Amino acid sequence: MSKVGMLLLACLAATSASAADAPNVVPNVVTLPQPTPAHWIWVNDFVFPHMVSGKAMLVDGDAGRFVGELDTGFGSMRVVPSLDGRVIYSPETYFSRGTRGERTDVISLYDPAHLSFISEIRIPPKRSSNLPMMANAQLTDDGRFLVVYNFNPGQSMTVVDTQTLEFVGEVESPGCALIYPTGNRSFFSVCGDGALLNTVLDDTGKVKSSDRTKPLFDVEHDPVTEKAVRVGDTWYFVSFSGTMYPVKADKGSLALQPTWSLLSEQEKAAKWRPGGLQQLAVHGASNRLYSIMHQGELFTHKDPGREVWVYDLAQRARVQKISMQHDSGSIQVSRDAHPLMFSIFIESNVLDIYDATSGKFLRSVTDIGTTPTVLVSP
Amino acid sequence: MKWLDHLVEGSARSLAKRTSRRSMVGYLGALLVGATAVPLLPVARGATPDPKAPAPKASDPKAKKTDDPTSCDYWRHCAIDGYLCGCCGGTQDTCPPGTQMSAVTWVGTCHNPLDGKDYVISYNDCCGKATCGRCMCNRNERDTPLYIPFQSNDYNWCSGNGTANVPYHCSTARIVSAAR
Repeated sequence: MSKVGMLLLACLAATSASAADAPNVVPNVVTLPQPTPAHWIWVNDFVFPHMVSGKAMLVDGDAGRFVGELDTGFGSMRVVPSLDGRVIYSPETYFSRGTRGERTDVISLYDPAHLSFISEIRIPPKRSSNLPMMANAQLTDDGRFLVVYNFNPGQSMTVVDTQTLEFVGEVESPGCALIYPTGNRSFFSVCGDGALLNTVLDDTGKVKSSDRTKPLFDVEHDPVTEKAVRVGDTWYFVSFSGTMYPVKADKGSLALQPTWSLLSEQEKAAKWRPGGLQQLAVHGASNRLYSIMHQGELFTHKDPGREVWVYDLAQRARVQKISMQHDSGSIQVSRDAHPLMFSIFIESNVLDIYDATSGKFLRSVTDIGTTPTVLVSP
Repeated sequence: MKWLDHLVEGSARSLAKRTSRRSMVGYLGALLVGATAVPLLPVARGATPDPKAPAPKASDPKAKKTDDPTSCDYWRHCAIDGYLCGCCGGTQDTCPPGTQMSAVTWVGTCHNPLDGKDYVISYNDCCGKATCGRCMCNRNERDTPLYIPFQSNDYNWCSGNGTANVPYHCSTARIVSAAR
């Protein structure tokens, strides 16, 4: 259509339409506010029935509105927002012919204002494909290095320099999995015998030192899940039966702090236990830990729950119970002073939103993906 | 790959109650200590099922769905997580046409109610086509976290080792041996 024609059409339409309904003759695409608001949440989805088309969806928790999405490839893991919020990293896998052909693994970089692709960094094609965990990919504390867990089934970590946008190298982690950062140049992994592998990088991202602790967890009788959360210098691991194992990083060493139980003896007798895919969340400023709880036998450690129990980490005491609207398998709490708690379950695609302080249910957002996994704050 | 537990948890939990714990964690953990990037394979590489292993008797009224390989309640499925190959053109022992079987995998120890014995089950994934999408089943008896890989059903075992480094399609449930 000519410009004159478009103008004429616009004028005609304007005479019969309210201002709110004014015709928009210029194609337009939404630009998002920056930095990404604290009450928005990334819902990662590995789309199990169609694994080649994983994605991450952004939802506005205050408005209950679907904001947009990123397409994140085969067996999608999770997005990793940079610390300054200016870029989103996403470890991704692609096959050259959809479900066959050469496998290519990359770290894709996305623009958070436009949810658009910026560039990619090639990494070895061995990124672990597993039910997504937060610990599959983590930034060092200063945001300089992105570390990604590999499993083929040899175990190692890929290190990427976010400053030079280059693949630095691999860190071997024999017998040990996943990434739990402890500083600007350090992280640990959990080993099959319950020990921790403590890895320190130099300023180029190469291994400076690596050592193992003695076994800290009872992997045979009551293993901790790999879904730990962190407040400050302490990572909180919880066992199948609800025993909390705090691991403190202090001056380059790792130390297990006194353990405590999320459950009273009566609650244990009633078979309460934690469970879920992303079963723990924390709000650092208030030092509160949130745990999805259900009643079940041993080996129901991945079951969803209808309650979230809240603990004061300093007191090691429960301070609140939150009744959930739907089955909850993954929770996340925003980092701001008036935090929201988000909840979703892999078998459902309804995102529930709560006031994380009062526990009051606020709203649901429906039709969020297919098999939503972990929730990531921007 | 966790889901649909609520459909099967009654069965799974009753099995869990009946079955003694035969943890291989310590054994596997010891194997993994000091491992290198070279894969360690504590389970059979696509092993042929033991011909001496007893087949469930479909005529047994106690069997119910525990003898149906396309049922999540099938006794070998006690630690499976994925789409059942028996619903996808294969069987509990074989991969569907055009796919390839993963060489390495996770194992479970399942109780056969028909003979009262426990068996080590190898859940080899079938790989190379898009996810089958039929008969999703997840049961977690003795499932371990990702840091104990060979008893963890959360890994996509198609993503390992050379020729099977391809997409996940479905999962088999093959008898390795009687548990000791």
